[in-house]
Amino acid sequence: MSGRARVKARGIARSPSATEVGRTQAAPLPTSVDLSNNEASSSNGFLGTSRISTNDKYGISSGDAGSTSMERGVKNKQDFMDLSICTREKLAHVRDCKTGSSGIPVKLVTNLFNLDFPQDWQLYQYHVTYVPDLASRRLRIALLYSHSELSNKAKAFDGAILFLSQKLEEKVTELSSETQRGETIKMTITLKRELPSSSPVCIQVFNIIFRKILKKLSMYQIGRNFYNPSEPVEIPQHKLSLWPGFAISVSYFESKLLFSADVSYKVLRNETVLEFMTALCRRTGLTCFTQTCEKQLIGLIVLTRYNNRTYSIDDIDWSVKPTHTFQKRDGTEITYVDYYKQQYDITVSDLNQPMLVSLLKRKRNDNSEARLAHLIPELCFLTGLTDQATSDFQLMKAVAEKTRLPPSGRQQRLARLVDNIQRNTNARFELETWGLHFGSQISLTGRVVPSEKILMQDHICQPVSAADWSKDVRTCKILNARSLNTWLILCSDRTEYVAESFLNCLRRVAGSMGFNVDYPKIIKVQENPAAFVRAVQQYVDPDVQLVMCILPSNQKTYYDSIKKYLSSDCPVPSQCVLARTLNKQGMMMSIATKIAMQMTCKLGGELWAVEIPLKSLMVVGIDVCKDALSKDVMVVGCVASVNPGITRWFSRCILQRTMTDVADCLKVFMTGALNKWYKYNHDLPARIVVYRAGVGDGQLKTLVEYEVPQLLSSVAESSSNTSSRLSVIVVRKKCMPRFFTEMNRTVQNPPIGTVVDSEATRNEWYDFYLISQVACRGTVSPTYYNVIYDDNGLKPDHMQRLTFKLCHLYYNWPGIVSVPAPCQYAHKLTFLVAQSIHKEPSLELANHLFYL
Amino acid sequence: SSVVDGNFEEVPRETAIQFKPPLYRQRYQFVKNLVDQHEPKKVADLGCGDTSLLRLLKVNPCIELLVGVDINEDKLRWRGDSLAPFMGDFLKPRDLNLTIILYHGSVVERDSRLLGFDLITCIELIEHLDSGDLARFPEVVFGYLSPSMIVISTPNSEFNPLFPSVTLRDSDHKFEWTRMEFQTWALYVANRYDYSVEFTGVGEPPAGAENVGYCTQIGIFQKNGGRATEACVSEQHDQHVYKAVFTTSYPSLQQERFFKLVLVNEVSQQVESLRVSHLPRRKEQDGEQGDKPKDIGGSKAPVPCFGPVFTEVEKAKIENSPKPFCVGDKFFVPLQRLLAYPRLNRLCANEEMMRSVIADSIPLSSDGSAVVTDLCNYFDEQFEF
Repeated sequence: MSGRARVKARGIARSPSATEVGRTQAAPLPTSVDLSNNEASSSNGFLGTSRISTNDKYGISSGDAGSTSMERGVKNKQDFMDLSICTREKLAHVRDCKTGSSGIPVKLVTNLFNLDFPQDWQLYQYHVTYVPDLASRRLRIALLYSHSELSNKAKAFDGAILFLSQKLEEKVTELSSETQRGETIKMTITLKRELPSSSPVCIQVFNIIFRKILKKLSMYQIGRNFYNPSEPVEIPQHKLSLWPGFAISVSYFESKLLFSADVSYKVLRNETVLEFMTALCRRTGLTCFTQTCEKQLIGLIVLTRYNNRTYSIDDIDWSVKPTHTFQKRDGTEITYVDYYKQQYDITVSDLNQPMLVSLLKRKRNDNSEARLAHLIPELCFLTGLTDQATSDFQLMKAVAEKTRLPPSGRQQRLARLVDNIQRNTNARFELETWGLHFGSQISLTGRVVPSEKILMQDHICQPVSAADWSKDVRTCKILNARSLNTWLILCSDRTEYVAESFLNCLRRVAGSMGFNVDYPKIIKVQENPAAFVRAVQQYVDPDVQLVMCILPSNQKTYYDSIKKYLSSDCPVPSQCVLARTLNKQGMMMSIATKIAMQMTCKLGGELWAVEIPLKSLMVVGIDVCKDALSKDVMVVGCVASVNPGITRWFSRCILQRTMTDVADCLKVFMTGALNKWYKYNHDLPARIVVYRAGVGDGQLKTLVEYEVPQLLSSVAESSSNTSSRLSVIVVRKKCMPRFFTEMNRTVQNPPIGTVVDSEATRNEWYDFYLISQVACRGTVSPTYYNVIYDDNGLKPDHMQRLTFKLCHLYYNWPGIVSVPAPCQYAHKLTFLVAQSIHKEPSLELANHLFYL
Repeated sequence: SSVVDGNFEEVPRETAIQFKPPLYRQRYQFVKNLVDQHEPKKVADLGCGDTSLLRLLKVNPCIELLVGVDINEDKLRWRGDSLAPFMGDFLKPRDLNLTIILYHGSVVERDSRLLGFDLITCIELIEHLDSGDLARFPEVVFGYLSPSMIVISTPNSEFNPLFPSVTLRDSDHKFEWTRMEFQTWALYVANRYDYSVEFTGVGEPPAGAENVGYCTQIGIFQKNGGRATEACVSEQHDQHVYKAVFTTSYPSLQQERFFKLVLVNEVSQQVESLRVSHLPRRKEQDGEQGDKPKDIGGSKAPVPCFGPVFTEVEKAKIENSPKPFCVGDKFFVPLQRLLAYPRLNRLCANEEMMRSVIADSIPLSSDGSAVVTDLCNYFDEQFEF
């Protein structure tokens, strides 16, 4: 197959619309404004080529293939689409007031700023037509901009729609410009609408204005964020540059328009694609080079040296060389080498390199076939991190160390940005001509909800810190453990000794927590993944309760092949441990404790509980992510509690291709979960609270219109008389606002349990922020909750506290986690399936936390 | 010479004559070729319009100061941003510094910041000057600014009859000259200010009409006695009448921060490639261990081999330098070895310099003579299959 044909085939298979959800259902806004690429950058702007996602764990943007891929314009529209879904008005119990009242008030500073403008501020939307008509957008813009009538006015223009902050004298203004040929072009500027500042169109224009302003501060737009490449942070040992920058946006919060800014870093790799390929070729040798190279590179985002654009690598064409010719737009043929020399004065030094193929985005309203661009590896820089790099602990640690900012550092950066905007004459000029003023930083009052007690088997413990109660419960017995009698340890000759000493330690700590571990059968295996799988196949019989594998290296194939076999082909709980981990000096006890806890959970044990005042409550967690191998497959993980104490869990993981299929499989799952609940409790739960994670921008409508009804119908169908009451809450770990407390004239992270349900929230939603994690050296990110459906009618206070309680129940960590436990379990399950198993795990394991 | 005018002139709807490439591009390419040939350091474009020519010239490695002057401030502001460095310029910096400044002002006003230039271009400018300004123009540009070289282009009116119904090519043109008119003016000016001048042009006339000459006529003025301006610049009184509307500086290897970035990267890459070729690996590869990175791949390969290719001299230099070595699980590459590679040698003259620049970014051996790294790292495991 030719490169071109292949990329087409791939293009279809990987077409974003196949996986992007909510896109087809999306009704366009009344006026779609896409000035994102207007006058400021018409030839070498970014033309929406970026596939950018944010690695929220480290607060870094990394170009990442698996993530959203759409034009900025579209993406903005999707955000605004979410805002048009007004769910709160349907929830009678919070229509008047959605704020809670319990807890201790705490003063908080935010990263939100007032944006001041005159009371009667309006935006005037004009339509511009040209006679004779001009096809070139650039020419249309140039003609309008060079006309003296408009020269001193604040304006935003995309070639057809013109926005002005000052009204023109006449409703219809006729201007004419003469060209060099003496051709007179008539421009008719007609007033279409007068928009109040609250209009969504205005908010889009405000965002455009701020994008222009940040460009004037010598910042560069990549994706939706702005970066400053002249002050890079270098990590030479990993060949990375981090560009500091900001994610900014202007939007309506509870009652007013606010500007928000958060610090962001862009990861760039200090190597060209050619250098990367050369190094890779040295590593892999030739036999599997092309294959490995494609696997590593396809989907990555590159930055070209000779313009400011980013491209995604959709294919590699090994048959095309820089010495080959291509057809220019004017029809003439030229070699790539000559083209780059003529156009950019760049000499391509390696004439043997293959070509990267990028599928160019179609222009707006253009239904023609997508164009391909051939890029020269030597002239492309890699951005973002590969999956492999993100799995490199050392690398990620180095990145985190460089990018982690304490609240005070973050506050300083924000202050400097605001200061720069106000000092830079060009930036200030832009703001002022629009009639805008930068206002003060928003302060608000949050509440710290009471801390939770941890219930152990015969002890109630009030942890010193909710962040980590491992010390507090060291001497306590766990709630319920099953005895481990028949099990296997697989290890290599080299690791046998360490396995033995670990086993002793494990049995000791397990005993003290009330978990009986008998002596296992130890099997020695050769050091290769196939040998491990063969041994598993050979020795696992129906009596085996658990298989432990001491892995000689963290090569992914070991883990993946073992997990795949034991999660679906032959369902038995398994525990993989890196031999290296067991060699850590002085850590044996704590490692053994952690592993013992995981093992007991995998066997169906329960570790601890918190007090749940609601007596018949089922909590559900749902997460969705893309499969690592086939990016058009979505992995949907669902987890539901099956006892009133919320200590036992039922799970399913289903692979799907479209968003509507996701909703359908939720129904299948809910029916199964309710059956389980009935089996254990001889009744249905009175209340169900669903925490839904993995929701992308613009998907809210699909959730409200499709998923919620599916969940409701599965609940209704499960019972002939009264059915359970349902709440559905969208959980987002990534959100713009940050909160700081002011203490001793410096800012710090707010305490665990801080709830914010005013000012930084949205008027049209029943939403709140909850801080349920600690960040020792960095800035804590709040988790954002949006209750989109609620017939439980719980008071906001109770909903917030229930959510907080659930953050204490994740058994893989003896401390609070950033999202409710069901969400974290669902995430862990989807991650295992998406990364390692790639198919549905056996239902025989559904009642165990086998995915920990 | 703006986008607007340019597009209309070059892609006329009704005219029979079409230039390929478009005429404005031919004019810019003409200037660019001249720059390639003469390698001026300081270049100014008077009447730069939407800065298209400046954008073409900024990629030239020899230019260190690039200035545009125009009376239309809006146009300068509108397209000015596009002269800022690309993001890639921060990852692969230029060798030499480059500053680009756009001034709002008139070419018949004196501004001392334009003194001492190597090249000043006036592309399709003079025909926009009224008679008073045209009279003052030589005195300012030739007499006061007095650069080493001046390029002036203007329409050749003898060509106009080939266009349908055209008297002047632009409504703002105050005049359009025949070749004789232009050359008379040019020779007079050259003589008065001690320049020599050559005439040429772009836009070949169509077959059968060769006698009308080029569509655009060009005069290249060179100052007699070469570059004598530098000395007198400082003596001139500072005179700032232009308003700077846009200024940008490019990252370059002359700046310590970027020099370090590039050097550290090149060193890490070279060390990494040497390290990988020292790794214990499968049998088939063993023969290729060692110091010949370009050999890896082989010629009978299904995929082309790529990566650096060295000349015989370079190869010999590399072979004769101290070899990398292992001690335990550590891998050492002598700095002398690194200096033997052309890409590093180009950046760094000696070991001392290399050591002082990379010392706080890359671990060195205790005596500082070699880069030291772990022989095996995380990624190696990922590639065993």
